[in-house]
Amino acid sequence: MQKPIVKTHDYLQKRRGLIRRNISGWSVMLPGIILFAFFVWIPLLSALVMSFTETIGFEIQGFVWFDNFVEIFNDVDFRKAFQNTFVYLGWSLLIGFIIPIILGLLLSETIHFKGLFRIGIYMPSAIAGLTIAILFSFLFDPSSTGFLNNVLKWLGFAPLSWLEDPDLVIPLIVVTMTWRGAGATALIYLSAFQQIKTNYYEAARIDGANTWQRIFNITLPSILPSLSVLFVLQVISVMQVFFEPLVMTNGGGADRSSLSMLLLAYQYAFQDGRADLSSATTFVLFLIILGLSLVYFALVAALKKRGYKV
Amino acid sequence: MKKHSFTFPRLKYKQDGIINFVEYKHKRFKLVYVVMIILLLIALFIAIFPLFFLLIQAFKTPEEINSNIFKFWPEVLDLGKIIDVWQVSGLGVYFTNTIIVLIGAIISSIIFNGLLAYGVSIVKPIGSKFVYGLILGSYMIPTVLSIIPLYAMIVNLKLINSFIPLWFAFGANAFYFINFKNYFDKIPKELVESMRVDGCGDFQIFFKLILPISKPIIGTIAILATSAAWGDFLLPKLVLMEDSNFTLMVKLFSINATMGTVAGYTPDMLLMALLLSIIPQIFIFLIFQKQITGGSLEGGIKE
Repeated sequence: MQKPIVKTHDYLQKRRGLIRRNISGWSVMLPGIILFAFFVWIPLLSALVMSFTETIGFEIQGFVWFDNFVEIFNDVDFRKAFQNTFVYLGWSLLIGFIIPIILGLLLSETIHFKGLFRIGIYMPSAIAGLTIAILFSFLFDPSSTGFLNNVLKWLGFAPLSWLEDPDLVIPLIVVTMTWRGAGATALIYLSAFQQIKTNYYEAARIDGANTWQRIFNITLPSILPSLSVLFVLQVISVMQVFFEPLVMTNGGGADRSSLSMLLLAYQYAFQDGRADLSSATTFVLFLIILGLSLVYFALVAALKKRGYKV
Repeated sequence: MKKHSFTFPRLKYKQDGIINFVEYKHKRFKLVYVVMIILLLIALFIAIFPLFFLLIQAFKTPEEINSNIFKFWPEVLDLGKIIDVWQVSGLGVYFTNTIIVLIGAIISSIIFNGLLAYGVSIVKPIGSKFVYGLILGSYMIPTVLSIIPLYAMIVNLKLINSFIPLWFAFGANAFYFINFKNYFDKIPKELVESMRVDGCGDFQIFFKLILPISKPIIGTIAILATSAAWGDFLLPKLVLMEDSNFTLMVKLFSINATMGTVAGYTPDMLLMALLLSIIPQIFIFLIFQKQITGGSLEGGIKE
């Protein structure tokens, strides 16, 4: 390469190159930015604005500030949905959080039929959630001809009304979601388990630690990062439960026993024509998710300070 | 010893994990191992059984499904029923629509997220950090929360009943973007600079250099987008109003919602349609199971 003779010439050329590079860079990014603006950023901002305004159809009429929030908190349906959100969360942590950990542990500790177990257990995760919700509403058929009721009869139990039972409907929806999600989550845990170094276990063995001590002192602490990330992701995802109650209980059930906040937001907007109430509902849901995420990040930071690897 | 002979794994050779060959010398631990295998067999059964149930129910007649006497197997296995249901419900149209949406979604998720990631990761114009921050900031916020204003915008642009919003929605996916960016970050800068010296523009560099050397990540994103687009429900449900435009998911939902009120659809037909819609998903999974289960770490995060 030849050195340019004049310094300013070099500088100008660099500068011109820089400008051209910036223009070119932005033109490459522009299509993506437009799409992000259209599909993500503008709708998010509009939803925020809309929750403080009055709407007719989907058109904003004017600011009413907190009237929408007052209205929804006085609505029986909203209160039910708000309450249900935490019932969903509780059941989902009870049923859906532990099972994948155990599955992952079993998969990582066994050496027979590895491929069969992994593919088979992952299989439900490969199927669209909506189809599974429809399929499970057949499985949970409350009539005397339903499959599970016949199994119960065969075992000598009384038939259940399944999804029509207000106490059972949320746990059953959570079972459906877990059936679909557990396999994929188990494989994430599996890969976390397999990254644990064998010599940790060797050292523990030499020190005379038994199996349970190894699990609780080595295995579980080592997967703490995956554990905490998957925990918060599960919380966020179950808060957004939507099409399961829509499909399985025909829009939340007659007594609203499975109504979720997102489903209510959908009904406000598309059945009652109240886009403002709908936006206010999603805004409350957003605040709950944000609040829980902040608690999570604070916890992780606190644990990190104490020297835990989270 | 033959080179390719199948050897059954032996516990006394198990080196790693919580329990290894040291413990498996004892009978007690062998019993524990048997229990673990039994638990996995139960899990496998639970995972597969509902699909098997669907397969059986789909071949029953409406009378058999509603009969008071429950029989597990269908009376006759009538394979012609597949063709009957396909024709009566016109599933061909909905499959075609789904595939059109799918292809557009895959292309759009690769081109737009890829281009944006290329800009942020390699060209880095002034302000690209800000764009990156905006995308990361909106990543944790579920996009369904803003579906109402998005729907209103689509209505205003008169894009109802069009596949265009369904395609382009995949071009704004923070998760795909982050995956592309992480991959592009590892591409040596010299490769890009050498093409730039040759006088290539950024679009040329992207399509001629970056995409061909990014096959693994393109494959991953394509697979993720395929399963996401196939199962996509809320936006298609809102955007597609005409029956002839429905994707499979929207059609299945509408059959399910109107069943019993509209003549023509019986439960067994819905079950057969469900079965037919699940089969391609299972095939795709079995073909790409290595990539899918391998990528489940990243894939699961978004779920």
